[in-house]
Amino acid sequence: MTKILLRDRLDDCITRWHAAGFEVIGPVSKNNISQFAAIEKADELDLGAILPGRTLKDLFFPQTEPMFRYRIGKQQIDTEEYLPPERQRIVFGARPCDASAMAIDDPLFGWDYKDSYWFRRRNETVIVTIACTAADEFCMCTSLKLAPDSTLGSDILLRPLEGNRGWLVEELSQRGSEALSRIEALLEKEAAKPLPPADVPVKFDLEACREWLQNPENFESHFWKEISMRCIGCGTCTFLCPTCHCFDFQDEGDTYTGIRRKNWDSCSFALFTMHTSGHNPRSTQSARWRQRIMHKFNYFPGKFSLNSCSGCGRCTRECPVDMGITETLQEITKLSK
Amino acid sequence: MTDNTQNGQENIYRPAIMNVVGKRDEAPGVKTLRLEFQDPVEHERFRQTYRTGMFGLYGIFGEGESTFCVASPETRKEYIECTFRQSGRVTSSLASAEVGDLVTYRGPYGNRFPIEEFYGKNLLFIAGGIALPPTRSVIWSCLDQRDKFGRVTIVYGARTVADLVYKHELEEWQNRSDIELVLTVDPGGESADWQHRVGFVPSVLEEAAPSPENCVAVLCGPPVMIKFTLISLGKLGFNEEHVYTTLENRMKCGVGKCGRCNVGSVYICKEGPVFTAAEVARMPAGDL
Repeated sequence: MTKILLRDRLDDCITRWHAAGFEVIGPVSKNNISQFAAIEKADELDLGAILPGRTLKDLFFPQTEPMFRYRIGKQQIDTEEYLPPERQRIVFGARPCDASAMAIDDPLFGWDYKDSYWFRRRNETVIVTIACTAADEFCMCTSLKLAPDSTLGSDILLRPLEGNRGWLVEELSQRGSEALSRIEALLEKEAAKPLPPADVPVKFDLEACREWLQNPENFESHFWKEISMRCIGCGTCTFLCPTCHCFDFQDEGDTYTGIRRKNWDSCSFALFTMHTSGHNPRSTQSARWRQRIMHKFNYFPGKFSLNSCSGCGRCTRECPVDMGITETLQEITKLSK
Repeated sequence: MTDNTQNGQENIYRPAIMNVVGKRDEAPGVKTLRLEFQDPVEHERFRQTYRTGMFGLYGIFGEGESTFCVASPETRKEYIECTFRQSGRVTSSLASAEVGDLVTYRGPYGNRFPIEEFYGKNLLFIAGGIALPPTRSVIWSCLDQRDKFGRVTIVYGARTVADLVYKHELEEWQNRSDIELVLTVDPGGESADWQHRVGFVPSVLEEAAPSPENCVAVLCGPPVMIKFTLISLGKLGFNEEHVYTTLENRMKCGVGKCGRCNVGSVYICKEGPVFTAAEVARMPAGDL
């Protein structure tokens, strides 16, 4: 017997989760942007999209967030922390690639020094993921050794049933079980067969690419200049990437009082690495694109045994000049043959 | 070579508040601040973790944070000294801080010079311009336990006589019989009363010709000086494994998360800033 969540019970589930003190968040279309936001009722959810426009990253690592308020006095400086509130959240309807991306970034944000802004939110959030039964031509999770029904990063995995009637429920973590215990009475128990996961073709040879990237000779390859020639350095790929984690600190305020903020930054920007002296270790767009690819598929896996990419394909889908990780890794696959 | 210590803070981005207790003009645009922790708990954490070579992020709320080494030695942890050139927004506001003012500090971060491994060896310090501060931290860390080391040679050069930093300490080292100090300025940078060498560091080093026998070299300076000094050290017979240097890059977090300070796969903040010349040689030059 397997547990089934019927679609018409979703409103009751949300009510019970709310009653238990959870905030419920899901993919919605807000201000014409498909993104994750708090919901009150199931009909606000937009579960039909291949992938929301924005990623789950926003929920754990907002584009901008205040870290401290400072007040400078004559003999003292008072700082007040803005740590995220301890609030239980359920994200309903994440995609496996987006959920995986959060697990991919955990070791980075915990690398010896723990980023409390990230982990406070991670520790209080239950991610309920819906396996993909459809994909578009940009999806590439399988190329990253993930799948349209990957469980990495998810607390509960839902597999869609025939006729849009609901989902088969798989508990994946203690946190997931606790969230399910709140809606146990609303679940059916029956032997149901879910729809098969989407067919996502493999687009490049990840191992061959890693080997090519690891070869020191290829660091100065002319390939980098050619492949990034049309990059305009807009940063869209990094901002829409679920795993891109680079950030900046900026102070907002005057001499006596203000707020220190943590903001997304991007390796696509020339100022990102510019020294005060004017020297810039990555002074060209090709050096910056090389850094992005090297970081995701060579440096990061070298440190954390995970690729810093979950194959969502947003970088390629939304690139204004039609570049992206897919094309680069396809070309590298060819070069390494 | 990593020797990073998890700091016990709940919020790793929250800086400590420091009292400015001393200020010194070193050279045109270059200043040293001596800082003391306001919070004894923060101070104790610094005492426990600071070793020579580690760096910190020094800041002023409202302006931001800048990364430089801790210029004071690990043998003197009552305070922190930092020496910097006034060039950007943060360093300009730090430069205008006076004794009695408050600034912020985060750290110490990164790895260190493994000076226990230098015990019983001869030491050669080579520094150029504003890169004496990181070298000076190691120099005093060793001089404060002078009997543990063999011969100590310091080769220091700057563009002009005015650009030499820590002039009072150079004089002190000059007068010590247990240190050989070689000072030089670039051709044209000498003053009328300059009594030391005139010439670039690499050639002055070759003339001084310190023996590589049982010797460790610590080399800090601008990239162009490092490049040619390494060639000179090679000529003198130094092994790259026994030459230490410290790298710097733009940083925001200092703890391996903000994504900008890496050279190839190596994060300067977490795996550095101290490397052997052999380690630096293995990094992709195009990323330096």
